[in-house]
Amino acid sequence: MSNFIRGLMRLRRGPWEMVATILIAAGVVMLMQPLALVLFTYSFLVTLVGTVLFIIVSHFPE
Amino acid sequence: MSYSITEPSSRQKWIAGILVVGYALLTLLPLVWIIATGFKTPADAIAYPPKVVFTPSLEGYVNLFTSRSRVTPEDLAALGPPTTWYDAIVRQYDMVITGPSRYGERFMNSVIIGFGSTFLSVFLGTIAAYAFSRFKVPLKDDLLFFILSTRMMPPIAVAIPIFLMYRELGLSDTHLGMILLYTAVNLSLSVWLLKGFIDEIPIEYEEAALIDGYTRFQAFYKVVLPQAATGIASTAIFCLIFAWNEYAFAVLLTSGTAQTAPPFIPTIIGAGGKDWPAVAAGATLFLLPIMVFTILLRKHLLRGITFGAVRK
Amino acid sequence: MHDDLAQRVAAATPPALARRLRGVSDRTIAWLFVTPTILLLLAVNIFPLNWTIRLSLTNFRTNRPNNPVEFVGIENYRKILTNPDTWASLQATAHFLIWTIVLQVLIGFALAYLINKKFRGNDLWTTLIVLPMMLSPAVVGNFWTFLYQPQIGLFNYFVAFLTGADPASFSMIGEVSLAPWAIIIVDTWMWTPFVMLICLAGLRSIPPSIYEAAECDRASKWRQFWTITLPMALPFLMLAVLFRGIENFKMFDLVVQLTGGGPGATTQLTSIDLKREAFEKWRTGFASAYAVILFVTVFGLASIYVKALNKVKDR
Repeated sequence: MSNFIRGLMRLRRGPWEMVATILIAAGVVMLMQPLALVLFTYSFLVTLVGTVLFIIVSHFPE
Repeated sequence: MSYSITEPSSRQKWIAGILVVGYALLTLLPLVWIIATGFKTPADAIAYPPKVVFTPSLEGYVNLFTSRSRVTPEDLAALGPPTTWYDAIVRQYDMVITGPSRYGERFMNSVIIGFGSTFLSVFLGTIAAYAFSRFKVPLKDDLLFFILSTRMMPPIAVAIPIFLMYRELGLSDTHLGMILLYTAVNLSLSVWLLKGFIDEIPIEYEEAALIDGYTRFQAFYKVVLPQAATGIASTAIFCLIFAWNEYAFAVLLTSGTAQTAPPFIPTIIGAGGKDWPAVAAGATLFLLPIMVFTILLRKHLLRGITFGAVRK
Repeated sequence: MHDDLAQRVAAATPPALARRLRGVSDRTIAWLFVTPTILLLLAVNIFPLNWTIRLSLTNFRTNRPNNPVEFVGIENYRKILTNPDTWASLQATAHFLIWTIVLQVLIGFALAYLINKKFRGNDLWTTLIVLPMMLSPAVVGNFWTFLYQPQIGLFNYFVAFLTGADPASFSMIGEVSLAPWAIIIVDTWMWTPFVMLICLAGLRSIPPSIYEAAECDRASKWRQFWTITLPMALPFLMLAVLFRGIENFKMFDLVVQLTGGGPGATTQLTSIDLKREAFEKWRTGFASAYAVILFVTVFGLASIYVKALNKVKDR
């Protein structure tokens, strides 16, 4: 866990890609879940942030 | 007695074999049914219980290739005896053949668009894959990812701007428009597959050729191309299968002149409701080439499927 | 290294050839070879994508080209993301997605496991199993409506034969409760072979020496399956799941031919919903915003897919 936070602080690719992946996955789940309309409404924003983040952080050093 | 401890016992092999063969037979049943229905009469096709044994008939195929119209029995009698065997089949139903159906045209469109786009996407894909494999291309990883992601886009979403663009350019419902579109979609697959195949060819061959005085171009087409031939062939088959099977773009962007067979076959209807033998006949002729291809070329095809999805 | 090679080449080639070599440099060839691909993809993908994004901010309608086109900002996005009907079609997609993946992974993995026992003739039977996924989904889907006919359909007859129910008593594509399963069954029939092939590649990538070592440690077959087979094949399973997930997220041809989205809107998957908005109601601006939402989602999933792909490749 502390490795993970250190990786985030030093802008390493691995942990940041993990964050972006979780955001994308959360956005996709929010888009298709049957529970709350408000989650559906904000799903696109979450996916978009995750995807843009992914494109940026994939250029960070390993 | 010596045996490998990881080799399954013969009893295990038997059980595995029986289960797999059982699944295969079940999964083939719908395909066998398509082929069988094509040779049934309309009455046999909708019989209950479903007919497994039946007298084969070519009615489905005759109806597939002809358009017919109903005439009164008096008019039919006035026409005299039928001149051909297919005339005879049609006249049993008080009908006469008025001309060929559109199936032949649609099938030819599939052939033209399928082969045209396959040739283009394999040609462009091969040279691009060679460049990606051998040279330093700026932003290579981003470009490759972009190329891959274009294939994953939903066709309906892509079709909205393409529809508008093609209308402006006069490309809608033309062979050229469909060939370019399928080429673009297939290009991502062909670049990715071919880059994998070319990566596997040792670079030393080309270096040796360069030392022998070949230019880069010569080294490319005299050394690399023959080595990549099987890879290129199996990529071509995948591109052809995609273009052959594609439906979403075809149904949205073509209506008359350039319509391919997949949007056409479901619209085949008979005199009273759906003419299932004719639909099945059309489907059989359309699907059979791919089935035969798959069985004959199984080694390359199966490798290609996993290669495309698993390897980068 | 390359300079070294170039010098060796230069030394070994006659002057005319050397000039030609220098004339067309590797860099030129790289550009020459990549440019057509990039140009075509720009024309057919990037330019239209850019157009879609701009349209998604307007109220443009293709069937009323003379109406003034107004900039409406994110209004279209707001409308889509608060629309219960759109939400319902995404839920229908989720139902389809989850069940097809579960069934295809279970059956596909089991088949791959059995085929990996290498019984005689396994490659021919593998090919026969693969046949459905090679065929046109629209043509095959259309024929499945015939198999699904009440009474006369082969599928209904088969189910009746197994359960004793009346084959005329149910209609797979006509009933609200059955139609979502009708499309799941056909998709599973068609695409299980794909998952099977990926799993087979995964199983074949496990070196036999690991099993030999486990055998020496007297690990039971059951334990070997859970501690070796499954974990080693898991990255491949992940790939198959992601790939099928993306494919079925955009599912169109098979389902539109099978049920056309009906009865009601029970099988109206996202792509079918989008097609209605774009090409039947001609609400182009609205549909473009819808398309952008799907683009971003698929793009995000594709990035995860490529990440998973790199993990498998590194093995």
